[in-house]
Amino acid sequence: MDNKKSQQDLEISARRDFFKKTAALGVTALAGTSLAADDKAIMHHVPWGQTWGDPITKNLYGVPSKYEHNVTRRYTKLLASGNYRASIAVTPIHESEGIITPNGLFFSRSHGGVAHVNPDEFRLMIHGLVDKEIVLTLDQLKRYPKVTRTHFIECPANGGQEWRGPQFNSLQFAKGFMASAEWTGVYIKTILEDLGIKPEAQWMLAEGSDNSEMGRTIPMDKVLDDAMIVWGQNGEALRPEQGYPVRLLLPGWEGNLCVKWLKRLEFAAEPWYCKEETSKYTALKPTGKAIQHFYANEVNSTVVSPSPEKPWKDLADGDIIEIEGLAWSGMGTITGVDFSTDGGKSYVEASLKGLVLPKSWTRWSYMHTYKKGETLLLTSRAMDDAGYIQPTIDQETKVMGVESVYHRNAVETWEVTAEGKVNHVQIRS
Amino acid sequence: MFKLDRKLIISASVVTIATVFAAGCGAAETGAAESNVVAKTDISGGVFYPVVNGKTSVYHVNMQAQGMKLNHGRVPTANELKAWDKDVMPDGTGLPEGEGSVEDGEELYEEKCVSCHGDFGSGGGGYPSLSKGNAYELQETLTNNRYRDPEADGPTRVFGSYWPQASTMWWYIKDGMPHPKSKTLTDNETYALTAYMLNINEITIDGEEVDDEYVLTKEKFLKVKMPNEAGFEPNIDGPNSLSGIRTYYANPANFGAQKVPANIADRCMTDCQEKTAKTVRIANGGISEFNPPMSIVRDLPKTKEAINPKQAYADNCAMCHDTYLAPGSSDWAGYTSKGMAAVYKNAIDGTEGGMPPKGGSTFSDAEFKMVVDYVINGK
Repeated sequence: MDNKKSQQDLEISARRDFFKKTAALGVTALAGTSLAADDKAIMHHVPWGQTWGDPITKNLYGVPSKYEHNVTRRYTKLLASGNYRASIAVTPIHESEGIITPNGLFFSRSHGGVAHVNPDEFRLMIHGLVDKEIVLTLDQLKRYPKVTRTHFIECPANGGQEWRGPQFNSLQFAKGFMASAEWTGVYIKTILEDLGIKPEAQWMLAEGSDNSEMGRTIPMDKVLDDAMIVWGQNGEALRPEQGYPVRLLLPGWEGNLCVKWLKRLEFAAEPWYCKEETSKYTALKPTGKAIQHFYANEVNSTVVSPSPEKPWKDLADGDIIEIEGLAWSGMGTITGVDFSTDGGKSYVEASLKGLVLPKSWTRWSYMHTYKKGETLLLTSRAMDDAGYIQPTIDQETKVMGVESVYHRNAVETWEVTAEGKVNHVQIRS
Repeated sequence: MFKLDRKLIISASVVTIATVFAAGCGAAETGAAESNVVAKTDISGGVFYPVVNGKTSVYHVNMQAQGMKLNHGRVPTANELKAWDKDVMPDGTGLPEGEGSVEDGEELYEEKCVSCHGDFGSGGGGYPSLSKGNAYELQETLTNNRYRDPEADGPTRVFGSYWPQASTMWWYIKDGMPHPKSKTLTDNETYALTAYMLNINEITIDGEEVDDEYVLTKEKFLKVKMPNEAGFEPNIDGPNSLSGIRTYYANPANFGAQKVPANIADRCMTDCQEKTAKTVRIANGGISEFNPPMSIVRDLPKTKEAINPKQAYADNCAMCHDTYLAPGSSDWAGYTSKGMAAVYKNAIDGTEGGMPPKGGSTFSDAEFKMVVDYVINGK
């Protein structure tokens, strides 16, 4: 057959189809939405249309609409180490749009409370196995050539409460130990070019100035690759919860490694054995051995819409709905997401959307035709360019057991009931 | 003296590191022809993105800014280095001279630590446990895994049974404890508290029991060998550790990861779940005590209600006070007999004993006094 002709035929038949569908939809639409009375929202003058709005002098630092007051970080006593100074408030992923988290909603985790550092008294000391040891003020630090990068930061305990079964009927709590931002700062390798590093240096200690003096040991590989010292977050200064004025950023690696309220970098031949890389942030396996220095957050994904918080309502048979999700990998760039409506028995390919950046949140979606009364098990499975794919829960627990707390990245499932309610479930043996 | 070679660092820092440390190259070459896998991996098993033609992945790079001598900042003084370089390493680097007895440690513990960490480090109220008994016996529980037997006990991960190095404890007590007033303990007090930690975990030093009479010194402390020292992987000690870590993370079987098949089209698209897999639902209602309560409603915020002291207590105080001076406890008499002014002052300003100012809440003074009244009277 002549290709051109067949293409034309297709177009005509597609157009015919379109008209048929529109006509059919038109009937349902009319039948379904006829109102007994006219819509007040249209027929009445709204109060904000008949009076002055606020002067521009109000809220010189802007705040969200007062109607958005339920869009906040949230916390639960379960996740407090005794008090809310060593705890976490999590990001409302179910309300998030795109691949950037507003600074006020970025998850907040600290080990001794949120420090409020006076920028005039900020000093960064870099010492140990370098040719030249230095102290920098904030202004001096900011004179280095800047880089800006979009990366998520994820607590490796994201989902860590659910190794033995689902516990949170909530996207915010099941996956909200993470958030994403555009960060501005300087590569540490740029500073080290200035200082010179001794050959025996294998490790860098990063230490915070907060109450807990949070410290972690970082291998030189990362220091000389993409490790950054950042002070900018989505176009403004870091928020105190994110380590104002300066934090470490190790793209893709455990959030805990990205030390906040940074004060000191020391280089040495041997590692430090900090509290948060021994007693915590180590993943115990069934062998009795625990993985230490477990750096990268592995490839992961979740369905974001619908969610337990935002179930399907008012969907009619045949309605087409976008099922949307997030995928991310601390090991590289998302290359694809597979989507399942039967809990991961069978998959189809979903579409990636928008910017697809390394070690960054990536949006994906799948257009689903809703059948009235259907029950679904929505599961997603992401892949990255490091060659990894999300495991099933059985595959992951076979190696890691269920006591490791950290780095759980098996596929996650939302059950959609016949009424459109969404429940967090797990498909596992 | 080694200077960073900027050309090397720009083009391939993985190679630079391998050359510098002569530690073997971790950058694994993989066939990328029909897969979605890129060529070089970093130490974590992730992708290494080099700078190619002025770009790293999608980001443009100002090549002019590479390798410039900027000479910002100044050299720290010897005293400044001493003031900030306080870390303590397993080999004793940074550990000052000093000594402290188990007896003094117990006294300090009762004064400054027990309100959160509980009697004999038993924990409580969500605060970490510091001991659960004999460290050597508990170390053996680390193979307990409820994956095999859901009814079994889980592993016990406390200082004695789990931590690989004692230096971590000394350093953290000195730097981070007591939590509400960190960096207030002397070196000798830190030795005493560390001695008490070793005592309650029943850890021996050089075969000797750390009993109630024991006096811990720097020399003795450096002989402590933690029961679980060899309980971690990959190895991070010694000159070849980085290459060992690269090798460890190059093997997905070590950390429960799954590789995409060499040809991505070969990945499982049908019949991908284990035959025995079933739908597991949230048990016993799950966890739903969220603050603020979950809501996606778009409405106007409610005007601020008067505080509810009982709720305020539950949110801010219960974690410690349920087990120590609980609401309505008769033990309060010993404090209230000295006058309410002192009780309010301690509650608002915090105490040496570990009570944070206003229990860590953000109430006004007047509001917090209402909470104090509730805790004392129990109503």
